[in-house]
Amino acid sequence: MKTKLLTSVAILLVCSFGLIVFADNHEKSDEMEKLVFPKAYTVKAVSGGGKISGVIKFDGEVPEMKKLEITKDEAVCGAEDKFDQSVVVGEDKALKNTIVYLMDISTGKDFEKNPKIEIDQKGCKFSPHVQIVPVGQRITMLNTDKVNHNVHIFSTINKPVNKQQTKTRRRMPLAGVKKAEGPVEVKCDIHGWMKAWIAYVPHPYFAVTNEKGEFTLEDVPAGTYKLGYWHEACGSNNKEPVTVTVAAGGEVKQDFTLKLKK
Amino acid sequence: MLRKRIVLLSILLGFTLFISIQVFTQEAPEVSAKGKEVYEESCAHCHGTEGRGDGSAAENLLPKPRDFTRGLYKIRSTESGELPTDQDLFEIITKGMPGSSMPGWETQLKTDERWEVVSYIKTFYDGFKESETPPRQISLKDKIPYSDESVQIGKGLYTDLGCIECHGNVGRGDGTSAPTLTDEWGFRTWPANLAENWNFRGGSDTEDIFKRFIGGIAGSPMPAFEGDSFLHFGLTSEESKRLSVMENKDEMTPDEEEESGKLYEKMDEAVLVALDRVEGTELTPEAQKMYDDAMKIVYEKSWHLANYVKSLSPEKRPETAIGNNVLRSQYMAEDLPILGDEAWDTLQESYYPLVGQVVIEPRQFNPTIDSVRVKSFYNDTEVAFLFTWDDRTHNTEVEENEDTGTSYEDGIAIQFPVKPPKGPTDEKPYFLWGGKKAVYVWQWKASAQDQITELTVKGVNNVTVQEMQGDLSVKGEYNEGQYRLWVKRTLATDDKKDLQLESGVFVPIAFSAWDGANGDNDIKRVISSWYSFVLEPVPSSRRFIYPPIVALLTVGFLFGLRGFVLRRNAVSVETDTEQ
Ligand code: HEC
Ligand code: HEC
Repeated sequence: MKTKLLTSVAILLVCSFGLIVFADNHEKSDEMEKLVFPKAYTVKAVSGGGKISGVIKFDGEVPEMKKLEITKDEAVCGAEDKFDQSVVVGEDKALKNTIVYLMDISTGKDFEKNPKIEIDQKGCKFSPHVQIVPVGQRITMLNTDKVNHNVHIFSTINKPVNKQQTKTRRRMPLAGVKKAEGPVEVKCDIHGWMKAWIAYVPHPYFAVTNEKGEFTLEDVPAGTYKLGYWHEACGSNNKEPVTVTVAAGGEVKQDFTLKLKK
Repeated sequence: MLRKRIVLLSILLGFTLFISIQVFTQEAPEVSAKGKEVYEESCAHCHGTEGRGDGSAAENLLPKPRDFTRGLYKIRSTESGELPTDQDLFEIITKGMPGSSMPGWETQLKTDERWEVVSYIKTFYDGFKESETPPRQISLKDKIPYSDESVQIGKGLYTDLGCIECHGNVGRGDGTSAPTLTDEWGFRTWPANLAENWNFRGGSDTEDIFKRFIGGIAGSPMPAFEGDSFLHFGLTSEESKRLSVMENKDEMTPDEEEESGKLYEKMDEAVLVALDRVEGTELTPEAQKMYDDAMKIVYEKSWHLANYVKSLSPEKRPETAIGNNVLRSQYMAEDLPILGDEAWDTLQESYYPLVGQVVIEPRQFNPTIDSVRVKSFYNDTEVAFLFTWDDRTHNTEVEENEDTGTSYEDGIAIQFPVKPPKGPTDEKPYFLWGGKKAVYVWQWKASAQDQITELTVKGVNNVTVQEMQGDLSVKGEYNEGQYRLWVKRTLATDDKKDLQLESGVFVPIAFSAWDGANGDNDIKRVISSWYSFVLEPVPSSRRFIYPPIVALLTVGFLFGLRGFVLRRNAVSVETDTEQ
């Protein structure tokens, strides 16, 4: 009994030291993975703005996309094979689903009026996998398969969401949020493999790369900006964002090559 | 022992605190020193000095002690997405959370200390400071009282709303989504077994249930069932019925097209009002009325559903099978009933609570099997038992899974001494798989459900499969989250290593059970301490028993019981210390 006590004390000691050290690190590394937003943003019509575009490529051996195990509702959800979407690499190593954005823009154009922001759950898969949502804008969750889903959004700054979308509810709108945040994970617990990301953003200079790894930011007021990226599996460049200078009416090309996070 | 550990733990924590103390004094200057003191004394070893749920005792626990920095609270009187009220926090701290390691502090902390610690834990999450308006509470007005009719309506809603996905057809937590659930922090979690509501974290009253599914259980997969989760939100019951009729037609007439179109518009409007409300927009009186009317129907349905969920559990947790509730096998002259025979329905179940085995490595700190329930009949030559226990998953083999870890085979073991104790002073074998004194065990595994292996066991590392396997009749089955196992054996056998049974003799009995999906395997399991059962003597002329013997037996029983209770307490203390 004595020895047991001593061991547990020793273990506890080690643990409590560990906690002090790790707890701190944990938060910092978490912070590093979020998007960086300007302190304030003022809308002003942009005339003769410039354009920033580029291609994101994946560097390294392309990981095989894991086939997802469909554990229920096979008739609907298993109709076609599904694969893990955390690293989607196309031709020429083009990396899909990367967010590219301006970190420090404080004045610029307004959001598109009444954008249609829909996340589909057809086939028990969220599409798109990465969705940009302006702050305050409502999202509509589509459910055409007639199965039960629960829309679970892991917000920490905004109110967390976890709401049942019953099989009869084909279009379920969700309330707009108050603050910029993200990307936050979206999940359906009923179909545990369903995962996606939402970024709630305060200005419109955000893009998500397509199959060809391409992105474009348009109507950028002339000036110098920090260009950031975020990718689910490759992380962000928050530590060393790229600086780009856009001339009025000009076009800047900026490509990135991303590696898997260590 | 326990005290010593606590002292050591406090010293350790004090040390940890000493290092992090500066951070605190900067961050929360307005909070009274008292709340902090109470927190650090009573809560920090689980919840962590910085409220991250990473205290020194957290490692083995599931669910984990709450991480207070995310502002996620399960037990709220508030709507989905809202923070709890101070009253909610005060109550949960007072009562604790059954089915988890969160203790109640009603007797340990004074009322004002509990209030102080409420203010203190709120400092871990900025959202409490920032929220301008008080959280919106769920209205408990117009409760619909419990009735069979209400339960029936609720039953339909339980299916329609999709509770079955996680909680299963009859609510035992065995839904098809159950095996893949994780909580907000990525740890595995299970849907509540709605038939065992004494394990609900937030209480088992109809009101509690009502609040849980309307508000959702933040931090867990359990979603909120709000306004438009319900069918035809915004329509009156008549309109809803009418729309269902039209929707079920293959083709609508132009008139019906128009009529249904109007109803869809009405529904959309109600939903938009509900969103405005959540977003904090002031509602016009008309909009408010529209919302209230729509919610009246949702709340009505919710009371029916809450009544249904309430109906799934017994009125209260069954009494443990000791004292008056001791298992008494009933005599019958004819052949003993087989599994599924109606005769079993005439008997009361004896309830044996099970706890995680935490005495020796590998321990089970997070048990998922609540109890085993037993019924028994005997006749002149044989005895039959019916064992029932709930398990959310049916595991018949070892399975590796990247996401959920390895799962093992389910099973149960019923343990007896080889010989019943001769009297109250005769010591029983060690409760956990015997020791110097051997135990006689029936081991059953889910992969061979009509078979039992007889074991002779003298401690966890000394298990022998009996050479002479007796002629036992066995039938096992798994259905809707529940195992039922029927075993029949002759009262007497030729094997000296078997227990021989006689009417009127109190025989110790104990259980081990394995939920393979929860990592139970071999030593890691749930267990009970020793209980006892008796083949109830028949007061018939054929089996006439002299009154003095009955009296003697009763006295013997009382002594036995006393000894048993004493030993049981000893065992539970031992278990506590080890935890
Ligand atoms: C033995 C470990 C332990 C101790 C000591 C402990 N807690 Fe907990 N507490 C837990 C666990 C585990 C949970 C999470 C249970 C769950 O999620 O189901 C929890 C959850 C909570 C919650 C969340 C309630 C909710 O609605 O979600 C509060 C508040 C809380 N504890 C307060 C306290 C306070 C205050 C103290 C000290 C007075 C304390 N706890 C001491 C283990 C502990
Ligand atoms: C996506 C899966 C899921 C669905 C759907 C679901 N639940 Fe749950 N439920 C859970 C989980 C997981 C828990 C355990 C929560 C915890 O304490 O961590 C739970 C817990 C509960 C509890 C216990 C509350 C307590 O105080 O501990 C009740 C009651 C309940 N659910 C009722 C319902 C009802 C009624 C429905 C349908 C309207 C429903 N659930 C739908 C997953 C689900």
